[in-house]
Amino acid sequence: MPPPRTRDSRHHDRDHRDRSHRAAREEEEEARERWDWNRPETRRLFEEAFFREEDSIRQSSEERHKFWAFFERLQRFQNIKASRKEEEEEKGPGLAKPPIPALADLPRTYDPRYRINLSVLGPDVWGSRGSDRPDRRLPPDKVAEFRKALLHFLDFGQKQAFGRLAKLQRERAALPIAQYGHRILQTLREHQVVVVAGDTGCGKSTQVPQYLLAAGFSHVACTQPRRIACISLAKRVSFESLSQYGSRVGYQIRFESTRSAATKIVFLTVGLLLRQIQREPGLPQYQVLIVDEVHERHLHNDFLLGVLRRLLPARPDLKVILMSATINISLFSSYFSGAPVVQVPGRLFPITVVYQPQEAESLAAASKSEKLDPRPFLRVLEAIDHKYPPEERGDLLVFLSGMAEIGAVLEAAQAYAAHTQRWVVLPLHSALSVADQDKVFDVAPPGVRKCILSTNIAETSVTIDGIRFVVDSGKVKEMSYDPQAKLQRLQEFWISQASAEQRKGRAGRTGPGVCFRLYAESDYDAFAPYPVPEIRRVALDALVLQMKSMSVGDPRTFPFIEPPPPASLETAILYLQDQGALDGSEALTPIGSLLAQLPVDVVIGKMLILGCVFRLAEPVLTVAAALSVQSPFTRSAQGSPECAAARRPLESDQGDPFTLFNVFNAWVQVKSERSSNSRKWCRRRGIEEHRLYEMANLRRQFKELLEDHGLLAGVQAATPRDSHSRLQQRRERQALYQLKRQHEEAGGRRRKVLRLQGEADGGSSDEDAEGTATREAGDSVDIQDVKFKLRHNLEQLQAAASSAQDLTRDQLSLLKLVLGRGLYPQLAIPDPFNSGRKDSDQIFHTQAKQGAVVHPTCVFANSPEVLHVQEPEARDKEGSRDDKDKMSSKHQLLTFVSLLETNKPYLVNCVRIPALQSLLLFSRSLDTNGDCSRLVADGWLQLQLVDSESAVRLLAAALRLRARWENALDRQLARQAWRRRDHRDEEEEEEVAESLAHCKDVVALSGELLQFMASKVSYSLRRLTGLETQNLYVGPQTITTAPSLPGLFGSSSLSPHPTKGGYIVTDFLTYNCLTSDSDLYSDCLRTFWTCPHCGLHMPFTPLERMAHENTCPEAPPDGPPGAEDATPEVPQKTSALQRPYHCEACGKDFIFTPTELLRHRRQHM
Amino acid sequence: MACELEHGPPGVFECQLCSLTAPYSYIGQKPPDTESVILLEESYIMKDPFTANKDRFLVLGSRCSLCSRLVCVGPECSLFYSKRFCLPCVQENIDAFPREIQQDLEKRKVPAKKPVNKPRP
Ligand SMILES: [Zn+2]
Ligand SMILES: [Zn+2]
Repeated sequence: MPPPRTRDSRHHDRDHRDRSHRAAREEEEEARERWDWNRPETRRLFEEAFFREEDSIRQSSEERHKFWAFFERLQRFQNIKASRKEEEEEKGPGLAKPPIPALADLPRTYDPRYRINLSVLGPDVWGSRGSDRPDRRLPPDKVAEFRKALLHFLDFGQKQAFGRLAKLQRERAALPIAQYGHRILQTLREHQVVVVAGDTGCGKSTQVPQYLLAAGFSHVACTQPRRIACISLAKRVSFESLSQYGSRVGYQIRFESTRSAATKIVFLTVGLLLRQIQREPGLPQYQVLIVDEVHERHLHNDFLLGVLRRLLPARPDLKVILMSATINISLFSSYFSGAPVVQVPGRLFPITVVYQPQEAESLAAASKSEKLDPRPFLRVLEAIDHKYPPEERGDLLVFLSGMAEIGAVLEAAQAYAAHTQRWVVLPLHSALSVADQDKVFDVAPPGVRKCILSTNIAETSVTIDGIRFVVDSGKVKEMSYDPQAKLQRLQEFWISQASAEQRKGRAGRTGPGVCFRLYAESDYDAFAPYPVPEIRRVALDALVLQMKSMSVGDPRTFPFIEPPPPASLETAILYLQDQGALDGSEALTPIGSLLAQLPVDVVIGKMLILGCVFRLAEPVLTVAAALSVQSPFTRSAQGSPECAAARRPLESDQGDPFTLFNVFNAWVQVKSERSSNSRKWCRRRGIEEHRLYEMANLRRQFKELLEDHGLLAGVQAATPRDSHSRLQQRRERQALYQLKRQHEEAGGRRRKVLRLQGEADGGSSDEDAEGTATREAGDSVDIQDVKFKLRHNLEQLQAAASSAQDLTRDQLSLLKLVLGRGLYPQLAIPDPFNSGRKDSDQIFHTQAKQGAVVHPTCVFANSPEVLHVQEPEARDKEGSRDDKDKMSSKHQLLTFVSLLETNKPYLVNCVRIPALQSLLLFSRSLDTNGDCSRLVADGWLQLQLVDSESAVRLLAAALRLRARWENALDRQLARQAWRRRDHRDEEEEEEVAESLAHCKDVVALSGELLQFMASKVSYSLRRLTGLETQNLYVGPQTITTAPSLPGLFGSSSLSPHPTKGGYIVTDFLTYNCLTSDSDLYSDCLRTFWTCPHCGLHMPFTPLERMAHENTCPEAPPDGPPGAEDATPEVPQKTSALQRPYHCEACGKDFIFTPTELLRHRRQHM
Repeated sequence: MACELEHGPPGVFECQLCSLTAPYSYIGQKPPDTESVILLEESYIMKDPFTANKDRFLVLGSRCSLCSRLVCVGPECSLFYSKRFCLPCVQENIDAFPREIQQDLEKRKVPAKKPVNKPRP
């Protein structure tokens, strides 16, 4: 090996000690004094000489800065050393005689340079590079100096990187699970299923995938219950496995995937894996499946286990690792026929448990005020201040049941903190903005502790370092589904022992800790051992739908690890039948199979499909996305009048989905304006921008789904017309990618030091605003904005948003109709006395729940008057303040997305809809009296119309419109199924023709629907009392006047209703089944009437008259409002209106149109 | 094994003293994707995993010039003084090294006793 060709000039000095050289040296010294390394020009010269153009040091300003800083430090250090060295060199003894020849050629004199294992080429040795001559402006000794610095810089970099590598491996080796890696792999070789049980901190989630990778497995999937865990684990594992900048480790979640062909391990959500199984039941793409956090017993995880248990015999080569905390391990092991368990001890420091049950007075205070008493919590803060010196670090984590409780303690704790200056109090729950959630990771200044008030989110989802104290209230609020009341209920429960242990464990992650339990040990002993699995407490309709679409058989007999309550299953099946997703035999309908593929609520899915039918895809996409994410309106802005004022122009008095629609569209407009700052725009309006990003992502996903399923024609990306703008667009994207890369290089968000309360004079809201401001200054790139612009076609979005502003009133009404039908039967009726009440006392009733209120964020909470029946409309001369019997054509109902019960039952995301028309179009069950002037919808809402003529007209129109709407939907679904297949040319032509016809029909249908919605008929609306619903129907013993009217109701055959009485007209309409105390026979009273069109003169009941008018072949095309649209269709429909009739009087069978029938019957009178 | 020019991950480097393991992508004196640096020993090299820059490499280790044991560049396992020496070999021939290195090793002895990262026998 040749010696390094580069030598530092200074070490040759010894050879130049004679006079002539000294003169030269003095000259040199002089030049050196004039030499200035700090001149940018000098630096640039050297950079150009030493670094290649694509070199990272030359390219990245950060690298350059680092190098020159290092250079300056080194020079200072060298100057000090140089003066010392000269003395030392005199007495330098040199080396002892080496005993081994291999050591003989070691340099005799020590120099740090010899300890560096690399060498840098530079301009003076570039000889091989051809004509390049060393730059004359670079003096050789300066070149040497620079080279030496560079050498040390590179060596330093090597040492640093290697140090990180070694540290990483040390930490991995120190994890408790490291001892078990071999055993896990060995067991997996011998068995198909292995259970790895270990507590938080043992490292199973990060290490097991890496053991598999190291053992040569290459198709590994690891499921996580939460999306956020997929991302963070993929990041951590790729970092630890040294492929941070490679693609061996990836993740796949609903909107994002970093997966590529080179990916060997993918972290994905359970839901996504289930969808993969749905597509490919054998799951051929994976060799090993890790199912993490099985002990959490999420709905989908439980289902996945059942699916896997069935799949395994068919895939003997597929390996499965179930990972669990050390909870109920035998359950999982025995479910997979005694799968072996590898149990790993956790790494927890000892934790002292202190039981501090709340005293009776505190409990009494709490029950009286319904507000949590914060005193027991403050006592813990005091105790900590009293017992532990502030220099001993360690933060406090308090587990509370919900946001209200957090609020109560926050207030008191902040007052205490302001007084002692020893605490920073921070809330943590899922409704906080992302930035506020992130604050819990910031560090408190010295001598001050963090006090984090959290929901159970910190039990498993969020891990905060440095916690030494835990306060456990023992309570949790969980969403439970009440199938009877059809509502979600947020209720407070005692936690399980498993949760209590989990909470306690949070105190011992970084050192010995203390856990204060605000309950008695006897309480603890009475806790359930484990939390109630999700399958036992939530609505199961999404699960049942998915099961149906995966053809796993009857959900009632599916081998769940623990079966759900049979009642929940039945409710879910009924609900899906109600929604039209399952048919009578519980098989998937076409719309059901489509819904199963849309990863959304059935209700939202229906909306999307209906929207496509009416060419309203773009607005419906936005609304559906908006309704599928958490509300973007921040809580903190609730009380701010500025926010409310800024938000007002976006509010729609039609309902919350329309407000959200406006917000999203306005935001997209802001985004597409080059100079504007959407972050600021959102903050000013009290909007959590993160939720809007989520909406954009969901919207895009919905759109792709609809396109994939042939419901929406794929749109070609709008390509800019000329090459100039194409180029410009490409440049912009490149710039965005560059920004994203830089952000990732910088490592994202850094921890900050929290400020003490009151330091910046004041309340938390001040602190809030400033906190975000400084945050932004530190991070000038809005990375969310960059990602958004990279992910979405902003031009397309903006086009959709601006066309939304141009939506006509008709389109808006149609949109409302689509929402209404999608949301049906989620309806509420305003209480009749609302107009006489305060805004805050407005109540509403659903079929199952009385006395619900609109959510405070709801637009109707502030302007309830739009729901009241306007006074001028009222014909009620009595001047009564209630709307119950008020005759009006403007009664309205609320349709809502969800009913959520916390301290009150809240209607969330409401839209107001006209009552009569909506009920006629949507009801599952419509019952009438004899002249149809009285209608009962779904057995709970009664409509009393002013006159039976208009009633019959509207009813007839509704029947037709419903049939045509159904038909349009069927055709849309059929075309969707058709588009997904391959076709011959002639078929394509047929399709085009059919498509055109369909299109025309839909336009006509839309027009008629709108006309129908606008029809003005006075009626009263009320909710039936319990007693009334019991005595609603006449029952099977019915009067036989009805069969004379079939023509009114289209082409269905009439048969008596077995239970209600009256006659079944369609699957939803039962005629004349309502009991009536007054006019039982009114429908039989006939008066003579002459048809103005055909001249027919005979006695008619009002109903018969309508029936004739409706079908009179000579009626002009323009009939009375509401029913007129039917007339043009009569000629073609004549035959359809004929039906068999058996005449009791003459004992013969006929086929009659209704008019013929009337004529015939007259003969017998 | 003289100047193999291998790309991709041809194997896994494992230090025979501390058993640190990492996949290497190249063995030799001229790291790929860099022009201005040459190494003064035959080294096991990987792309620096801690940066996105493709031209940054990381030397994992090399063979001891006396006993030809494969050792990592970690200060607990080896040192470089114009050549690579594993620490056992240095200890054995401590007198052959300059005083600076001797002093260095003296200083190092204290932290070397940490329980983690104990050299394997
Ligand atoms: Zn080593
Ligand atoms: Zn050796």
